Amino acid sequence: MPAFTEPPTEPIKYVDAHVWLPYDYVAGDYRAAYLRALKEKRILGSRCDRTGKVFVPPVSFSPHAFAPCSELVEVADRGTVTTFCIVNIPVIGRNLELPYVAASVALDGADISIFALIQECKPEEVRMGMRVEAVWKPDGERHGDHEDIQYFRPTGEPDAPPETYLHRL
Amino acid sequence: MTQLRNVAIVSFAQLPVVARDEHRTAMEMLSPVVQAALAACGASRDDIDYQIAGSTDYMDGRPFGFVAALDAMGSWPPRHDNHFEMDAAFCAYYAWVRMQAGECDTALVVAHGKVSEGEPRRIMNLQLDPYYQAPLGLDPVASAALQASMVMARLQLSDRDLAEVAARNRCAGAKNPDNLVREAASPEQLAATPFVVDPLRAAYLPAIGETASCLVLAAEGKAERMCERPVWIHGAHHISELQSLGARDLSRSESTRLAAQRALAMAGLDRADQADLVELSAATPAEEWIVCEALGLDPRSSTPVLNPSGGPLCAHPIMNTGLIRLGEVFRQLSGQAGERAVPGAERAVAHATQGHCLQTNLVFVLGSQRRWS
Amino acid sequence: MKRAVAVVGVGQTHHASRRSDVNIPGLIREAVDRALLDAGLDHSDIDAVVLGKAPDMLEGVAQPEQFLVGALGAHLKPMLRVHTAGSVGATTAITAATHVASGLYERVLAVAFEKQSEGNAMWALSPNLPFTPPLVAGAGGFFAPYCRAYITRSKAPLHIGPLTVVNARENASRNEYAHLRERVTIEQVMETPMLWDPIRFGETCPSSDGAIALVLASEDLAKKGPRKPAWIKAGFSLAEAMWVPGRDQVSPRAGAECARLCYERAGITDPWNEIDTAEIYVPFSWFEAMWLENLGFCAEGEGWKAIDRGDTRFDGHLPINPSGGVLCTNPIGASGMIRLGEAALQVMGRAGEHQVEGAKVALGHAYGGGAQYFAMWIVSGEL
Repeated sequence: MPAFTEPPTEPIKYVDAHVWLPYDYVAGDYRAAYLRALKEKRILGSRCDRTGKVFVPPVSFSPHAFAPCSELVEVADRGTVTTFCIVNIPVIGRNLELPYVAASVALDGADISIFALIQECKPEEVRMGMRVEAVWKPDGERHGDHEDIQYFRPTGEPDAPPETYLHRL
Repeated sequence: MTQLRNVAIVSFAQLPVVARDEHRTAMEMLSPVVQAALAACGASRDDIDYQIAGSTDYMDGRPFGFVAALDAMGSWPPRHDNHFEMDAAFCAYYAWVRMQAGECDTALVVAHGKVSEGEPRRIMNLQLDPYYQAPLGLDPVASAALQASMVMARLQLSDRDLAEVAARNRCAGAKNPDNLVREAASPEQLAATPFVVDPLRAAYLPAIGETASCLVLAAEGKAERMCERPVWIHGAHHISELQSLGARDLSRSESTRLAAQRALAMAGLDRADQADLVELSAATPAEEWIVCEALGLDPRSSTPVLNPSGGPLCAHPIMNTGLIRLGEVFRQLSGQAGERAVPGAERAVAHATQGHCLQTNLVFVLGSQRRWS
Repeated sequence: MKRAVAVVGVGQTHHASRRSDVNIPGLIREAVDRALLDAGLDHSDIDAVVLGKAPDMLEGVAQPEQFLVGALGAHLKPMLRVHTAGSVGATTAITAATHVASGLYERVLAVAFEKQSEGNAMWALSPNLPFTPPLVAGAGGFFAPYCRAYITRSKAPLHIGPLTVVNARENASRNEYAHLRERVTIEQVMETPMLWDPIRFGETCPSSDGAIALVLASEDLAKKGPRKPAWIKAGFSLAEAMWVPGRDQVSPRAGAECARLCYERAGITDPWNEIDTAEIYVPFSWFEAMWLENLGFCAEGEGWKAIDRGDTRFDGHLPINPSGGVLCTNPIGASGMIRLGEAALQVMGRAGEHQVEGAKVALGHAYGGGAQYFAMWIVSGEL
């Protein structure tokens, strides 16, 4: 708030209120296991007790079958781009060169997709069905957080057939 | 009074209230509670026509935080759904309104949120109008203290009067395994605790904690198949007042009085003391004095039994507190209240509140028999 | 529903990027006062108030309905606060209507607003989930990949998105309350910077301050009012989980199901021909084509063709968003109710310059979350 030494001559039109709220979030055992496994270059999901579907990152309860997902399983660190967009707006809290590609990636072994950054190719080259693999931070530089995977890059494999990704987001 | 549709509480589940669950997110706390509530009334997820949740983004510390509850509650296939930024007791009220409109026969009402992740005193300061009141730095303890001093002045209450009400809640609460605070205490012990904001001592403040809770409602025709002893809603109403602390008589709760008047009339009762037990969401003994007065009750009287659960002084999981009052009434009237059971209880009143200084109040009247035939 | 409910009054603010002439209560009063005036009523006639708005982080006030009781005329009345993300305005209207349908209330005021110029909207709309990498800025970044999926599946030509904007702005030029009212050409839209390919700046909704209020009344009271009411033939709010294997975000099941339930209750079997106009929630251009299919107006893959043929223009077979829609005005919490309120205005014959001639049956629609919440209603000029 401005400090007034004299009474204001104009009506006060705006109130500047800086909202500052600290939060200390619980990751939950499932997410914590997922993050710790990233340090070992492993991507974990959880398997639904009833249907066997695999969710990445792991969830404790399947939203689909409304049943517990008790088992943690490993999925591949490669998969298929199901859809994507090319972003020209900077992300708050991250230093990314523009433009960059944000994609929905269906990892091999997982039944839902994750969002990921695609690099090491021109944005125009990214396409639905493109096969990609994770690029991990080098050994010794991984700390068990989501930045352990830097981004995904094309593997060079032939594109996945449309039936595998067109109706799967 | 017109004939309404008989609707009952058929199940209730909650986790024990804790200061902080280090292993589970709010969503991970919610799913098992929904599963337990459904299992207790023999319902599958698909048997439920309607779902509604109560939570607040600021407590979640993320905008749209409540959206994740759709996954946690098993919203597949798509469900008829709603969400209020209010204590889930208000969600239960609306689910009841929907039943009256014939739009559903069963409903799942949940509350979720982890108050330990944020700082409730800061967050609740932000509930105040941003132009005049919030910049004063008023937090809910300070505003409650303002209100407490006003009611103490008007009713000539002493510190002892607050201590006795607090002690009664603490003794009752010691028998409730779901409470955060489970230690009985004497008025002397509680009156010896330091003032946090005069006249409110530390022991007069609610035991803020976190949990997840779930209530299942069902209309006549279904309720009987889901529960041996359904607890029927006889009446319900809620009223809001202006927030501005200077714009109303803080020593009285006009909104509680009006809400109770209408709820009792629906129930065919004249007075709240015709109930056998009353569960109040009063967060401090001063609030309890005010709400009791508005309901025509004496907080020093042993009938009706007040807060056999121990009330918010023993567990105040914000956003759940009002729903838990309904859950407690359900446990009592359906014979599941264990050690804290009020023998022979047939009728009860449950109260929920929102906002600083009892700004908004909701009153339910319930009974072990159907109200309308 | 147990008994018939109608919209008997509509009031909205002049939506703008920054309403610096009013504070939050003032913004609400503008809409509420207009709605009551429209209905020929005053606050003492209202039995309850239901308020809806989107994340409270948008204004920096937690649960603002608490400090807004006075502005809402809700002192000593029941007041509830709904929050279902982008669909909230619509869910709020339906919640209010259910109150009247229940028989417990005769007249209910539904209000929705957002004064998002007062906070940091971009931050509040970016998914800020803890333990999750920040990847996209703003809601558009989340939805753009699904627009791309639609284009790929339907093989729609790329001018459809910009054409949608041209139609919207053309309509908004006839709506005094809309925020963006300048007409544009396809070329002008295509020249704007690409934000999240395939969505350009010119294809996104603005950030607006605005409010809207509706007065809902029971059958007896609606018939006695000064205005021709808009009868609510059906109204539902559905939601679905996000992380469901095989879930389709291009044509979400909750949206299709919600529409099906509305048509069934309203006795509509051929929406394309039986509905005269529709106000649907299109925050990014391509959603119009997608929702035409999701709502059953067009078969799968055909939505873009209706736009290309001119069927969705103001003078077309099924005018879409005659008010200009969300692409021209988007106070997030209010937008859903603006859709439903505009649909009501159409069948009441009170949409002024943007009145679709002879409109008897209209659809109002909104969605929110990761395309998870869907709320819509069908209104008619006849009971």
